[in-house]
Amino acid sequence: MLRRPLVLLLLVAGCSRGPGADLPYVSEARSLAAEWALVNEQASEGRLTGAYVRTMRQAVREQLQTTAKALTEPNSPYAREIEALLREPDAARPAELRAHAGRLKQIEDDLESA
Amino acid sequence: MNPLEITLGIMTAVGGFVDISELVFAAQAGSNFGYALIWVFALGTIGMMVFGEMCGRVAAVAHQPVFNLMRHRLGLKLGLVALIASMISTLITTAAEIGGLGLVLHYLSGAPYLLMAALSVVLLGATMWVLPFKWIERSYGLLGLLMLVFAVALVAIHPPWGKLAGGFVPQVPAGLSSKELLKFGYFMVAITSAVLFPYEAYFYSSGGIEEQWGPKDLPNNRLTTTVGFALGSLLAIAILSGSAQLFKPANVGPQLPGTSALEAAIPFGRTGLLVALLGMLIAIAGAAVETCMANAYSVAQFFGWEWGRRKKPWEAPRFTLAWLIFLLLPFGIVLTGVDVMTLVEYAVLFSIIVLPLTYLPLMLLARDKNYMGKYANGWLANGLGWLFFLVVTLAAVAAIPLYLLTSGGQS
Repeated sequence: MLRRPLVLLLLVAGCSRGPGADLPYVSEARSLAAEWALVNEQASEGRLTGAYVRTMRQAVREQLQTTAKALTEPNSPYAREIEALLREPDAARPAELRAHAGRLKQIEDDLESA
Repeated sequence: MNPLEITLGIMTAVGGFVDISELVFAAQAGSNFGYALIWVFALGTIGMMVFGEMCGRVAAVAHQPVFNLMRHRLGLKLGLVALIASMISTLITTAAEIGGLGLVLHYLSGAPYLLMAALSVVLLGATMWVLPFKWIERSYGLLGLLMLVFAVALVAIHPPWGKLAGGFVPQVPAGLSSKELLKFGYFMVAITSAVLFPYEAYFYSSGGIEEQWGPKDLPNNRLTTTVGFALGSLLAIAILSGSAQLFKPANVGPQLPGTSALEAAIPFGRTGLLVALLGMLIAIAGAAVETCMANAYSVAQFFGWEWGRRKKPWEAPRFTLAWLIFLLLPFGIVLTGVDVMTLVEYAVLFSIIVLPLTYLPLMLLARDKNYMGKYANGWLANGLGWLFFLVVTLAAVAAIPLYLLTSGGQS
């Protein structure tokens, strides 16, 4: 009795493509950009340890790369934004990173309301 | 009652309350929904108090750990299903904790993550081999009090106390879209699961038997499960509130477990960061020990083996082998390279599904006057017990659909 709705649910949740399916990745990338900005801001004020800053930046970059690879629309505006984010140097200015986060947030809001 | 013992018991419960899942979900809940999910932590904690108190009482009076009850109350077949399901969920939870330990050591030292995860396994194994139960529980619980830095940091950033207090009132924020409502529902389920993890019941009830509790220990049990769990839950609420105050306005929805430590770094700089990371390290290590031992307790109790850390490792060889395997298997999962956040999500998902099977036999025994005599559940424990049983059953039914529909709370 429950099999049919479950299968439908799995199809809807797992097999879709396009901007709707990419929304979780856009959201993830937006947060990673904002986390990176926060780390760099605190680091520039000397409030964090070197090991923490290095490892967090590395983790952000690795996760962004995974996110970029998972996108189903690699030529979309959000994919280009994530690529641009990945081109930023490790010690990028927090304002730059926040601008990326802001643009991704805008895209995310547009996708959510679509 | 020895006041020192009671204080230590309460402090241990506080320090041992938070684990990687609570860290992750508290920070994400705050960044996504502000203070609106505080009440779910509070409600889950009341559930944990109710079931924790029952576990301790049954251990003290009937001298029955949870898995003995399962086999007797559910029968061999359903009991075996419950055992396997809980083993899988607790195994994934241990993997998440070991991965979390590797990450925190990586943040602290800069050394490679997998090497740090391996080092964690060696250190955990050594402490579990050398220390008796009481000292395993006490040392991790008391050192876990370093997590109090999150509460102090929250005070230092001057949150809007009125709004924070308003979060304790059950609510669904107004104006949420249908997608956001589903996400809110997913977080409700995930937080309930993270607070009421089944391994906590297995570990707590086995601990009562390890420490040879009797009816004279019941007041201590009641104080530990009410005051200790309530104070411990405030730590998780502090992490949520810090996130609502610092991360939400900055568009941060923490994707990395290490981001939570910034809550203490922002007001207190490097010292705050280091204390937060050390607190996280100890809290996660304590949970890793608990999950690993909980699995070994479950198997040993189900099959009627000699068990207990009050015995020397070679006096309970199958139990010792079991906890060694339940420490190494999750490390194997971590070695596959699976992301820690994914492990946390799976741990929470599987655990909530197992919860009703864990708490039903416990409820049945705790209210049974033949076993419990005058210590059987009164009307309050019965009423609350069935209410929370209903809550965890509903959460278990909703867990997988909500996970799929929200991509694990991401959208």
